[in-house]
Amino acid sequence: MKSLKLALLIGSALIALGPSAFAQTKGGVINVATIGEPPTLDAMASTADLVGIVSQHIFETLYTFDKSWNVTPLLAASLPEVSPDGKVYTIKLRTGVKFHDGTDMDSTDVVASLKRWTEVASRGKQTASMIASIEAVDPATVKITLNAPYAPLVSLLAFNNAAAIILPSEKQQNPMTDPVGTGPYMLKERKADQYIQLARFDGYTSPEGDENGYGGARHQYLDEIRFVPVPDANTRVEGAVSGQFDYVDSLPVEAYDRLKDQKTTEAVLLKPFGWPVFVMNTSTGITKNQDIRLAIRDSLSMEDMMAAAFGSTDFYSLNASMYPDGYSWKTDAGTEGAYNVADPEKAAELMKKAGYNNEPIRILTSRQYEFHYKMAQVAAEYLKAAGFTVDMQVVDWATLTQRRADPKLWDIYISHSPFLPEPALIGAMSTSAPGNWDTPARKAAVDAFNSEVDPKKRVELWGEVQKVIYAEVPIIKIGDFNALSAKSAKLEGFTPAPWPYFWNVSLKQ
Amino acid sequence: MLRYILQRFIGMIIVMFLVVTIVFIIVRVTPGDPAAVMLGPEATAADIAALRQQLGLDQSILLQYVYFIGNLFKGDLGQSIFLNQPVLQALAQRAEPTFFLTIFSLLIASVIAIPIGIYAAYRRGSFFDQAATAVAMLAASIPSFWLGLILMQIFAVRFGLFPVSGYGGPGTSLMERLGYLVLPAFALGIVSSALIMRFTRASMLDVLGDDYIRTARAKGVDERRVVLKHAFKNALIPILTVLGLTAAVLISGAVVTETVFGLPGVGSLVVSAVLRRDYPVIQGALLIIAALYVLINFAIDMLYLVVDPRVRY
Repeated sequence: MKSLKLALLIGSALIALGPSAFAQTKGGVINVATIGEPPTLDAMASTADLVGIVSQHIFETLYTFDKSWNVTPLLAASLPEVSPDGKVYTIKLRTGVKFHDGTDMDSTDVVASLKRWTEVASRGKQTASMIASIEAVDPATVKITLNAPYAPLVSLLAFNNAAAIILPSEKQQNPMTDPVGTGPYMLKERKADQYIQLARFDGYTSPEGDENGYGGARHQYLDEIRFVPVPDANTRVEGAVSGQFDYVDSLPVEAYDRLKDQKTTEAVLLKPFGWPVFVMNTSTGITKNQDIRLAIRDSLSMEDMMAAAFGSTDFYSLNASMYPDGYSWKTDAGTEGAYNVADPEKAAELMKKAGYNNEPIRILTSRQYEFHYKMAQVAAEYLKAAGFTVDMQVVDWATLTQRRADPKLWDIYISHSPFLPEPALIGAMSTSAPGNWDTPARKAAVDAFNSEVDPKKRVELWGEVQKVIYAEVPIIKIGDFNALSAKSAKLEGFTPAPWPYFWNVSLKQ
Repeated sequence: MLRYILQRFIGMIIVMFLVVTIVFIIVRVTPGDPAAVMLGPEATAADIAALRQQLGLDQSILLQYVYFIGNLFKGDLGQSIFLNQPVLQALAQRAEPTFFLTIFSLLIASVIAIPIGIYAAYRRGSFFDQAATAVAMLAASIPSFWLGLILMQIFAVRFGLFPVSGYGGPGTSLMERLGYLVLPAFALGIVSSALIMRFTRASMLDVLGDDYIRTARAKGVDERRVVLKHAFKNALIPILTVLGLTAAVLISGAVVTETVFGLPGVGSLVVSAVLRRDYPVIQGALLIIAALYVLINFAIDMLYLVVDPRVRY
């Protein structure tokens, strides 16, 4: 009887600990092949995804996103208390959180970091005009006062891109000289173009709760994570097949068949990952005319473009909505008869209405992302079929990023984006983003969306924004695409994510 | 002799000055902006302008050039925009893989090419000679990156004998790091061997027909001694020239091969600097490469003196 009780007790304890506590073991080093060397480790200073992928292990934000893309606390103790007028955000901080230099995090660090964010980060600078003050109430409380209600604030504070990372108050230099954060891993050594070595931070205090996307508990199973730049895509594929790397990011979809037959390496398909987009120049030139933009959209076949770019429907799907299934933001508002039209006659009528006179449509694209180029080629043929004159400008990515900043140099440029957790983060929503979409209808819809605090009402208001996007065509969404990466069969606890993370990951012994 | 060295030295300075000026102008007139690349895809025009100002890129090209030349006289090649370290330091960090890759490639190429070239010349017109010439043609036609990918498929992926890419992680010993160079060194060595073999054969053919070779043979000198000592030693000058030029090309960065194998060498640094528009690194790297070219050519000229005492300046 005594042994039965003991067995029950042990059994209960095992259940309480949960399966992961036993399935995963501590120790080991993983090598992660990335597409290149990040331009900086300062997560505030760049909007490049690669910077976010690496730096999210070193630095943390006040909030982050759970697996359903809801905002959840990270360095904050809870979601903020928002005043009834939506202007004052009171943020309670977790206590006992240490920086990698051994000092404790408190409200002084948070205030200094948020101020730096409004001065250094592009997303922070855009938000700065909305912020009246950022102040410390006590060592564990921070208060942000806004000039007007601005609902995306918390999502912006949670995002890992141009991120509002928390740094020690005395380490706020710009450019960053000493990458010290509160994350589960700390920078041990960086040899540019060779590796970035992160080691477990023994003083780390994990948030409580179950693992939940980027939120919840962050277990530090691995001793080290090493990010290795492998710029050549074919070499990344071979590195995955040979087993040299434990995780290989951003692989060409053509490699899927090779990877799925491997024993030691598994293909990881993030479905869906993001959306290719044609950004229209709404401020100057031929595409300033809304009828021309409508004609361009109605002449295009999204199906043919996606097929040319991604080959098989295993890797893409057609979707008019700005968000795919699984996101609360998904709505069909405004999309009817406005997606995958491929109707040259309808386009020709619009061109006639707009007074089109064979002015060339300058498509700015790059082969940095081969699928951009393939889509541009298909688009050019459809545009020509409708009667447009097309000037394809194929340049390298650095040239594209420079030229798109000058509206006089292009009419359409091709880009892509992961599905962002908050629509306000989408580039085109900002009037200062390339394309410079700024109309009364946009302002009315976007302002209403941004100032609404109630989540349910915001979903409805997003539908209104999408309607205006489809009516005014500042951007053309082409479809949804999946991302391919590869992981070692020995890797456990890995959750596919747009910005892959390796806390909660362990190696099979 | 001293006058010759002085002339070459002045020539070297002029060449490097021209290289620096041309590269400076080219990188500045090429479209693309390091600030835009650094800030990422969502950066606004205002952000980019602010960073350009911080980096001093908003100043006139002439003023930037004056600053650059001024710093150059102080031995300062500038600060990398992306790596946040001095250009000279960045180049020094990447010197090791490029240096050893050059040495190994050259060794592999020489070990393959010189004996085959000598024997092909000695057996001129034979099946061996024709086969060697044909294989050399084939090797010269193969792009080194393609050969690299094939070697990678066979020896790294299929047999797992060598790593696919990189140059070792933290704490790897020099010997371990050199293991990463085996496949790229063979890829480059095999392709380079074609040219060296053809030069060796041609040079040996010239010499083997000379009177003193006939004399040596008439005197009954051992055939091996005739070929290896009398003929080969006199055939060395063109071979040294091609070896030197091959070394210069390899040191300046076997650009594509380094990129394919993910080697953090000088070649891949130049490629990534061009893609990122990291102006100081492009300028500094090309200046050093130009200096190396000139120095290697100078060293070859000096070697002529050792090999052939008849050469005088």
